[in-house]
Amino acid sequence: MLARIAHDLYWLGRHIARAEHTARMLDGLFQVELEGGADDPRSVSLSWESVVVVMGAGSLAQPTGRSLRDDVVERLTSDRSNAVSIVSSVGAAREGARRLRDTIPAEAWEALNTFNLELQQRLRDGDVGTGSQSIYSYVKESSALYWGLAAATMQRDDAHSFLFAGGRIEAAAMVLRMLRVALPPVRPTDDEGSEIPRRDGNALALLRAVGGFQAFMRSAAAPPRAEPVARFLLFERAFPDSVAASTDFLHRMLSRADSEPGGSTAALRLARLIADLELRRRSELGPDELPTAFREIQHELEQVEREIHSRYFGGDLDIPQRATA
Amino acid sequence: MSSPAPDQHPTAGGDPEALPYAPLEGRFDEAFAQSGRPHSHTEGMIESLNGLGSQRLQALGERRDTIFMQRGITFDSTEPDGQTRDRPFPLDLVPRVISAAEWEYISSGVQQRVQALNRFVADVYGDREIIRDGIVPWRLVATRPGFARVADGLEPPNGVWCHVSGCDLVRDNNGIWRVLEDNVRVPSGISYVLENRIAMGRIVPELFAGYAVRPVANYPELLLDALLAAAPTRVGRPTVVVWTPGPANSAYFEHAFLARQMGVELVEGSDLVVRDAACYMKTTNGLRRVDAIYRRIDEDFIDPLELRADSVLGVPGLMRAYREGNVSIANAVGTGVADDKAIYHFVPDMIRYYLNEEPVIANVPTWLLEDPEQRDYVEERIDKMVVKPTGEAGGKGVFIGPSASDEEVARQRDLIAEDPGNWIAQEVIWLSCAPTLVGGGEMAPRCVDLRPFAVYGDEIEIVPGGLTRVAMREGSMIVNSSQGGGSKDTWVLGGDGGRGRPHHDFDPPTMPDLPQVGWTEQGQQQQQGSR
Repeated sequence: MLARIAHDLYWLGRHIARAEHTARMLDGLFQVELEGGADDPRSVSLSWESVVVVMGAGSLAQPTGRSLRDDVVERLTSDRSNAVSIVSSVGAAREGARRLRDTIPAEAWEALNTFNLELQQRLRDGDVGTGSQSIYSYVKESSALYWGLAAATMQRDDAHSFLFAGGRIEAAAMVLRMLRVALPPVRPTDDEGSEIPRRDGNALALLRAVGGFQAFMRSAAAPPRAEPVARFLLFERAFPDSVAASTDFLHRMLSRADSEPGGSTAALRLARLIADLELRRRSELGPDELPTAFREIQHELEQVEREIHSRYFGGDLDIPQRATA
Repeated sequence: MSSPAPDQHPTAGGDPEALPYAPLEGRFDEAFAQSGRPHSHTEGMIESLNGLGSQRLQALGERRDTIFMQRGITFDSTEPDGQTRDRPFPLDLVPRVISAAEWEYISSGVQQRVQALNRFVADVYGDREIIRDGIVPWRLVATRPGFARVADGLEPPNGVWCHVSGCDLVRDNNGIWRVLEDNVRVPSGISYVLENRIAMGRIVPELFAGYAVRPVANYPELLLDALLAAAPTRVGRPTVVVWTPGPANSAYFEHAFLARQMGVELVEGSDLVVRDAACYMKTTNGLRRVDAIYRRIDEDFIDPLELRADSVLGVPGLMRAYREGNVSIANAVGTGVADDKAIYHFVPDMIRYYLNEEPVIANVPTWLLEDPEQRDYVEERIDKMVVKPTGEAGGKGVFIGPSASDEEVARQRDLIAEDPGNWIAQEVIWLSCAPTLVGGGEMAPRCVDLRPFAVYGDEIEIVPGGLTRVAMREGSMIVNSSQGGGSKDTWVLGGDGGRGRPHHDFDPPTMPDLPQVGWTEQGQQQQQGSR
């Protein structure tokens, strides 16, 4: 298929997955913010600053007279001038889909178009302004509807592969970003007693945000503490939003779309990452090693992203200079 | 009682929509002082309520009902016409706020009580020291419907009988806390505590501004830990199940909720089977050993071989497996003897006897009608008393003297004469009130109680807050949800007085910005070059 079409499909998938995970993260933080106190067994240190770091969404400078929360929520939800806000991601997905109307099923296009319009309408009606998070449930549901329609009605061809490849790589990248921020390295100055419960609290909040709490409770023979949760979100192949499940799926999509997967550095590199994840799953991971593992996996995934761009779309991935420098 | 003057109201001047509210004269109010000013720990919450205004609150109330119906958080309610209907659990949008110091007091009182009750149950089925020392009469204990002969001589694996318990607390005119009753059989309501908090966060997050409310969401984890601790020692992680009588049970929602939250199977009697004095559940992979059962079914029904023979819900042979120590049951079989309303009378003495402490929270003055002297005393002033059947729960058969008609008084006298041992009488406690939203988005005082939940694993843990039930009818003191009662989200404030959350140093990893879509002309040329 045309590289441009493949590229647009891939990014359509990425934008929808990005909007969904941003919504999950903000929703999760609203829940965290409602609770918590100094004397709780498990306090949570995730904050509005953390979200900004996850998204890499520019500086923390805040306009006077507004709370950081209101500022961050607006910037990541309804601010069109911010390329990573939910409204921008959904808008970009819809613009992409408009150019792909002959490729994606009509029902999926209609669902996405309605999603975009209804989201704007709800934001105009001030659903976020009054502090209710129902907008985030709506984003989660609408993206599930889109993926469901695409899965049910789309021919399993290259177009399908690139659309879902985009969705999965974005999901893996977002989960890794959230893990890195929720479970930062233990600082040498920290006293163990306060640091461990905090990491456990963060891990639980993250697990709930990605909708994996029940899956974790049913599958893991361990309480939801930092280390088992991190392992679950990295390695558990049976949980669809884990990094391992996402990269597996991504590899299947690329192998199917590529006429010669054995000669594709993108597919090879990805296969190496998958093997690396499996090897790490089989070894112990101390609390100190977790942040290192996140960083290394994230770095490798970024290399895979670059390879995908150069192999299939023939261009460089646009990662803003400021942050990579 | 007239409304407070406008200048007494904190926001009445600035906000035309401020909700007028007058505390009920002579009653303790949970949110306001008699002057009409909010208590210091409720001031911020009341201010936020006024900021929302009555119209918006009314609209949010409708949204709440939709959310509860969608999520299936309902209960069966008997309507005035006698029909039973599925209704959204009535959550009042005005939370009940408990300060850190007050909670310290409540939780120490509940902890002490649960510990004494647990000791009592162990003693009754063990050495019976409290009986031999003459503190509690044996005749009374042995005649309680909750006394289980089959439990005689049993010893649960970690010595815990009452794994999950709830104490119903009330506050009188002077704001003094009192224990109204104990629930150590199968106390229900915890799922509403958790769902209420989630719903409040979604519907009125504004109210939480400036408060550090202690979380309740870790209850399922506490419960799971307690059940794991109670399981007999075997190799590997014990298998825990929640046992429900089935979807027809009014608390089925809660059974499913707890199983889901703990990530364990929700079983019915027909899923369980006993082989060679060990309990198994039937799975698609054959039989799987069960180590601990959290039973949400009355103990009379659990084993037709040893308890009620007509039980179709039970598992034949389960008591044998239990007695052999191959499976744990929580709460243990026989705990019902401790929450009988006639035994309640003796709980303060139990606390002194077992723990050598004075009770932190006192009982409501109670008379046992079996005793002729006490009965005469009560008969004389029955119109000022509350009379309760000893073996019932859920507000069934409760007689409230001050609001009873002559006919009802006469009938109650007959009932007592028929079987005095079945009844106790208590002084009427004028329950404290809390501001509650009533029709038309107005706020009015309504009676409340509080049921904190305790989980006894390695130690006794008490979930911050508990279930606040509220009588939705004006003047009514019946708070049971089966009789038209509602509930409130119950906030326990953090130890720092509840203002603001603790600040953590934030030391984030550096992260690349999210990549952006990048199809360019140049990219196209490279594409042609590279392939």
